[in-house]
Amino acid sequence: MIAQIVVNGILAGLVYVIMALGFTLVFGIMRVVNFAHGEFYMTGAMVVMVLYGVLGWPFFVAVAIAGVTAALMGVVIERILIRPLVTEEMPGMIMTFAIGTTLQSGALLLFGPAERNIPRPFSGTWNAIGAVVPWDRTTVAVAALLILSLFYSFLKFTRTGLAMQAVSQDRETASLMGIESSMIYAVSFGMSCLLAGLAGALMAPIYPIGPYMGELVIVRAFVIVILGGLGSVPGAVLGGMIIGLCESAVATLVNPTAALIASFGVVLAIIIVRPTGLMGRIVR
Amino acid sequence: MKPVYPVIAVVVISGIPWLLGDRYSFHIATMATIMIPMATSMNLMVKIGQLSLAHVAFMGMGAYCSALLTMRVGVPPFLSLLSGGIFAAAVAALFAPIFLRIKGTYFVLLTFAFGEIINLIMQDWISLTNGNSGLFGIPKFSILGLRLTATQHYYAMGMIWTAMSFGVLWAIEKSDIGVIFQSLNENEMVTRSLGGNAMAWRIAAFVLSALIAGISGGFYAFYIGLLTPDTFGLRAIVDLLVINTIGGVSTVIGPLLGAILIVPLPELLRDAREYQLLIYGVCLGVFLMFFRQGLVALLRIEGREKRP
Repeated sequence: MIAQIVVNGILAGLVYVIMALGFTLVFGIMRVVNFAHGEFYMTGAMVVMVLYGVLGWPFFVAVAIAGVTAALMGVVIERILIRPLVTEEMPGMIMTFAIGTTLQSGALLLFGPAERNIPRPFSGTWNAIGAVVPWDRTTVAVAALLILSLFYSFLKFTRTGLAMQAVSQDRETASLMGIESSMIYAVSFGMSCLLAGLAGALMAPIYPIGPYMGELVIVRAFVIVILGGLGSVPGAVLGGMIIGLCESAVATLVNPTAALIASFGVVLAIIIVRPTGLMGRIVR
Repeated sequence: MKPVYPVIAVVVISGIPWLLGDRYSFHIATMATIMIPMATSMNLMVKIGQLSLAHVAFMGMGAYCSALLTMRVGVPPFLSLLSGGIFAAAVAALFAPIFLRIKGTYFVLLTFAFGEIINLIMQDWISLTNGNSGLFGIPKFSILGLRLTATQHYYAMGMIWTAMSFGVLWAIEKSDIGVIFQSLNENEMVTRSLGGNAMAWRIAAFVLSALIAGISGGFYAFYIGLLTPDTFGLRAIVDLLVINTIGGVSTVIGPLLGAILIVPLPELLRDAREYQLLIYGVCLGVFLMFFRQGLVALLRIEGREKRP
């Protein structure tokens, strides 16, 4: 039972981490809260539904295209709608609300309100330390680990990645050092949407797909990011794993709604002790 | 423009349903009298610099609480309406000391998550709320033996409620308390150094806005007679944001104008219901790009007269 809870928690946590990372990245660099983040997740899932579910393309090709689609949409949206509001937190945030609403209603018009399921590309289970692990969740977890390590190397070892870190630490000094912030904004927003799109694409065969599927995902990303500290990449990883394990335990013992309430309780408790989250810096 | 003119204009506009005389325009007008207190009380939080997205959750709590009190316990509607508001305010007061410790973006995200979780509870606590199938059979509102049956009656009651809540919020904006609230947003350190208890004022604003939201929710419950969790979800938050953004947040008159403009929109879009959400999103975007300060700035309405 305990082994099962831990395994389920890690499997769920890895996907939460990917969602929270993209969200926290945009906030850390652009100071924009992206309420449309869940809609990029939805976009990824919708693309997989069409390419893999309807047209029958190979699953991983569909996943890759889904990620790229979300990323390209993100770059265009960032340039036109978000860039003009980038330093203003509140208007920027409400703008992402507008974008989210528009994307959601777009999906509603294209696909209708019904939730759909697509066939699972992998089936069956295997055993790990006394826990039953479905193969489809395993593929998601492996893909998530791969994405996380690529993302980490990108931030750590490429010039663009280093520049992104510099901008998130101190925008002005970074621009004095010759870092073009507009390019960094485009890259980080695009990358954030890429992560969200990939997460949605990977989860598409596991949960029902519909225009509103992004809502619950984004609530969880918020909870994780508040827990870990807004704008903190290690915080998002730590927060994602904590929430994954906590939800897995409560969901097994009680039910999924209680799990979300419990994770919210954890966050409230942390806020009493550390209002900026586990690894957050003081903002404002 | 003096702030009195738009208020007079609103009073004139409120007579339109009698001019048209059909039931549907009374319905739209009644919905406006529910949304105006919601939007203006949300504006109170925006003005102290803490945008609360839990606002519709408080409306939902008030709605379910007053409906259930009348249906299951048999409390007279007027008392359950008040109790609904007090219940929402009490929950707000319970969480306020934790929520209001944090500011800016964190606060917005936290209240959003709180609202969504309250919504999940409404969906899942089926024995209490009947979940997504909806709580139906809520009796009509009655007070002192008067039973409100027609839409016109509810519109009249809604106008009284709107006038009351707007009067309170406008009076606060004009008074010294308004100055304190403004200072909480602009320079909290100064307020605190002058001996103002910033936290207490913040909690007061949060609780008052929840009280108004709760009573509006109760009114909604008795008027519509059917409650679904969906009513108090993301759509309603977007509605309130659109109303506040389009009206302008600098004064309480902004959301008043915004609500009057936005609430009748479904009537104009009756043939294109699916496009409604799309149009909301696009409107919101356009206003943010080009008219950031909203209608109040376009019409040059000042909330507080500048004193010499």
